[in-house]
Amino acid sequence: MDGPDVTFSALVAARLLVAYAPLPEALKHDHQLSSPLTSYSRLREGIYLFDHGIDPYSGGSFRHSPLLLSLFSTVLPLTPYTSPILWTAADAVAAWALVRIWRLRTGAKATSRDGQVAAIYLLNPYIFLPSLALSSSSIENALALLSLMFACRGRASASLLTLACLVHLSLPSVLLLLPTLLLIITRPVSRLALPRPFGADLKRTLPLLAEFVGYGVLLTAASTLVCGNWDWAEKTWGASLTLPDLTPNPGLWWYFFTEMFDHFRPFFLMVFSVHLLIYVVPICIKFQHDILYAAFILIGVLALFKPYPTLSDPGLFLSMFSLFPEIYPYLRHPIVTALIHLHASLLLPLFNSLWLRQGTGNANFFYASTLVFGVGNGAALLDAIWAGLRIAIGKVEDGYEVVQE
Amino acid sequence: MRWQYCWKTALVLVVQLAVVGAASEQFDEDLTIRPLRDGKLSARFSFSSLLKDARPRDPQQLSNDDEAQHYALFPLALGQILREYAVTELHLSLNAGKWNYDAWGYPDEPGIGTGAELWVWMGESMPASVDLRWQGLRNALAGLFCASLGHLDEQRTTAPALTFQPEGSLPNFTYPHQLRHATLPSEHVCTENLTPFLKLLPCKSLSGIASLLNPHRLFDADWHGLGVHVRYQEAVGVEVRLTFQGVFDPVRYSNERRRDWSLHSVFDRSIERACPVARSSKIRVELPPGSSPYSITPDPSAINDGVATYVVDASEEALDVAMRWPMEDTFEYPNTSEAPPLTEVSVRRNLKGTNQAEAQLTLVVTNNLPVQVTAGYLETMPWLLQFHLHTFHAHVNGVARDDLVSILSYTPPVPHSRPALLQAVLTLPPSSTLHLTMDVVKPFLRYTEHQPDAQRGWDLPPAVLVPFAFGKGQNSTVAASHGRRPRRIYTPIMLVDLATPDFSMPYNVIIMSCTLIALIFGSVFNLLTRKFVVVRVSSAPAAPAEAAAEQRQR
Repeated sequence: MDGPDVTFSALVAARLLVAYAPLPEALKHDHQLSSPLTSYSRLREGIYLFDHGIDPYSGGSFRHSPLLLSLFSTVLPLTPYTSPILWTAADAVAAWALVRIWRLRTGAKATSRDGQVAAIYLLNPYIFLPSLALSSSSIENALALLSLMFACRGRASASLLTLACLVHLSLPSVLLLLPTLLLIITRPVSRLALPRPFGADLKRTLPLLAEFVGYGVLLTAASTLVCGNWDWAEKTWGASLTLPDLTPNPGLWWYFFTEMFDHFRPFFLMVFSVHLLIYVVPICIKFQHDILYAAFILIGVLALFKPYPTLSDPGLFLSMFSLFPEIYPYLRHPIVTALIHLHASLLLPLFNSLWLRQGTGNANFFYASTLVFGVGNGAALLDAIWAGLRIAIGKVEDGYEVVQE
Repeated sequence: MRWQYCWKTALVLVVQLAVVGAASEQFDEDLTIRPLRDGKLSARFSFSSLLKDARPRDPQQLSNDDEAQHYALFPLALGQILREYAVTELHLSLNAGKWNYDAWGYPDEPGIGTGAELWVWMGESMPASVDLRWQGLRNALAGLFCASLGHLDEQRTTAPALTFQPEGSLPNFTYPHQLRHATLPSEHVCTENLTPFLKLLPCKSLSGIASLLNPHRLFDADWHGLGVHVRYQEAVGVEVRLTFQGVFDPVRYSNERRRDWSLHSVFDRSIERACPVARSSKIRVELPPGSSPYSITPDPSAINDGVATYVVDASEEALDVAMRWPMEDTFEYPNTSEAPPLTEVSVRRNLKGTNQAEAQLTLVVTNNLPVQVTAGYLETMPWLLQFHLHTFHAHVNGVARDDLVSILSYTPPVPHSRPALLQAVLTLPPSSTLHLTMDVVKPFLRYTEHQPDAQRGWDLPPAVLVPFAFGKGQNSTVAASHGRRPRRIYTPIMLVDLATPDFSMPYNVIIMSCTLIALIFGSVFNLLTRKFVVVRVSSAPAAPAEAAAEQRQR
């Protein structure tokens, strides 16, 4: 056993230990760590109803995918003993996928940074805490990284199947479809410093797209078979489009649509949904020389503008920074961004508690902290885009500066 | 002189006509008075109009013209509503206050849930569906009784058929009957509801027992509520029963803190004359058990089974029933811890937790009998509180006893549209207390969905408990086998505190969120679309064109 493997095993073991430690029950209900779409108690409720012959999708509180429902009600029963193992396993798989992506990007069998990359994922509080709260967003993160890892290895079918599962669990992740397709037909090595036009034949993506659609139809059919009707589609996917549950989360949607005038609601729901899609094509064109980087940026966009984000969404984006060490010298305002993030991550739980638990604050407190969090995530996203483009120019001599025309 | 004679003749003629017309209708009124052990006085007015040999309207005939409605005693305004929406059975109650089952026992009218409660049985048939007629009915009743019954919409409507069985009979139409039930716990009952209620009575409040309905005193009672009950009985007809029930406090009215009461002291009125069209008009006074001597005046017409009956007739003298406890100086309130509760089962329901996102619902059910009691448990909860049924647990003396609860049916709530319906059967061990707990989630509402006084919270409807079997196995007695139906026990209503957004901020939120999104969107596309150039930032700044040329050279 070599160094990185030891580090990795130690990290996972430590992570498992903490998962079994007696933790405050409040963690499971925390709004930052699990959204209505990923909450563990709602998942348990859905499984309970399903096991007792009540269609969980006939109500309005269960919004998990039928796949998770059938998985956890048959193969992997959720108990206080199994759940921490399952969620730790999801995190371990995600960290392992991240390390594999890093190795594929550098082209080396093993590097000295492997342990560091795994640690940045496993010890990231934004990843760690939602996983302790047993939020199913940990599973979504693992699927996203697995899909990217398979795409980097050129394993088209495996990548598309995991992506189809991910999209099935969380509809907004469909943003990752285009970069995944392009990543399958290119190589994940770093080309940020040496941009060049897209080399591969775009026509090769068409059969891959058809395959993805095939998997999607298969999963949809399986879900319909599990439920016996189509209600699940409206309750799971529909939630991402119509935002029926206004439970607070660190994202930008919930308070906007709490305060929205009823007659403008459909319009702004459409605007917010379409707004997410706008980013896909321009980012893939701009980073056509390094599609993995485009996927990274789109994960950042998702973390910022997703309808029901949890902290693990920005966590995935921040942890993926470890894949691109070459951009570090070119980040525009890394200290400012880090400070805004720190500020927001302290304000979020504080103001949430002041509003909902202490009763000494009001909704605007928490809303303001989500805005700060949005600014922090936005700054990180802009830093990443700037650095990814700026690196192509390289070092400039004294007395010169890089600006945009 | 001649004219006066004419008037009198005309009056007699009208009365005669009314009596002839009333041959197919009859009107009975009665007042039941029950002194309670805590010094209070329960009074129940019941005015029943019977339309002989009438049948509820067949919903299939709704598209055809209805037969003409000529009533002499039956309330026309209500009759028209019943025929318009083809209602077979209807129960409406508007109550205020908290009924104390332990000290007052079962009420004479079972529907005592605080606020408004409406439940109807209707035939399900074309052309108008039950839901459509239910909507029309509640709006019509809202208009008739000046109450916000229009708010009993689909967000509060359920069909708990196990608990709310028809009290009359259902006509044998060729299609099934359906139940619709809704409660509005925040509805208050007041004079504006009593006035239209009195208008439905043939003698209004001018004569007979109804003349005691003095709003100043009725709405001063500790507990008061009015009810409208329509039922159809096979081979009898359609009966409309208007009820008013109140729990008065003579000790509070008396200067010497005595529990003596009289009709005049309680209602500030006495019965001056009888209602001429009433077939029977009776006042029943339940005589208090126990040793303390009392006197009742005037002498009752009859006494049987501890009930004194007075017949209100056309005598000239005003009737003022009074009861006195001459030996008592002041009324001594009984020690509640020594007095056993008067119902088989006592129930308390609470919402625990100060958090505005989650809470815990607890139900404490005490079996006061030395035998096992089986009771139905019904929750009709608006989506303002969402149950987590997987956390529903039962404890007896701190020992987990989940086997004592069996859930019969559960309909999960749908936010913004449908309430939850939970029907369960509880087995209560002899003389013990069952603790039920369940985690609940408080949803977050859109700002337009909050009520005007949002910080006050939302009233939640009462739960209903129906003890229906007593004893175990072979020895069990089912309540219905005694010839009476199982009686409902309502819990008090609850108040849930939901998190509120800032109501003054919609524009600010729209502006600030949109600004942030536009800022990030603009910056991203700025970075993506504009070309990167190297410029000299020395003392002599180079023109941008020169810089670009320079970059191309590099």
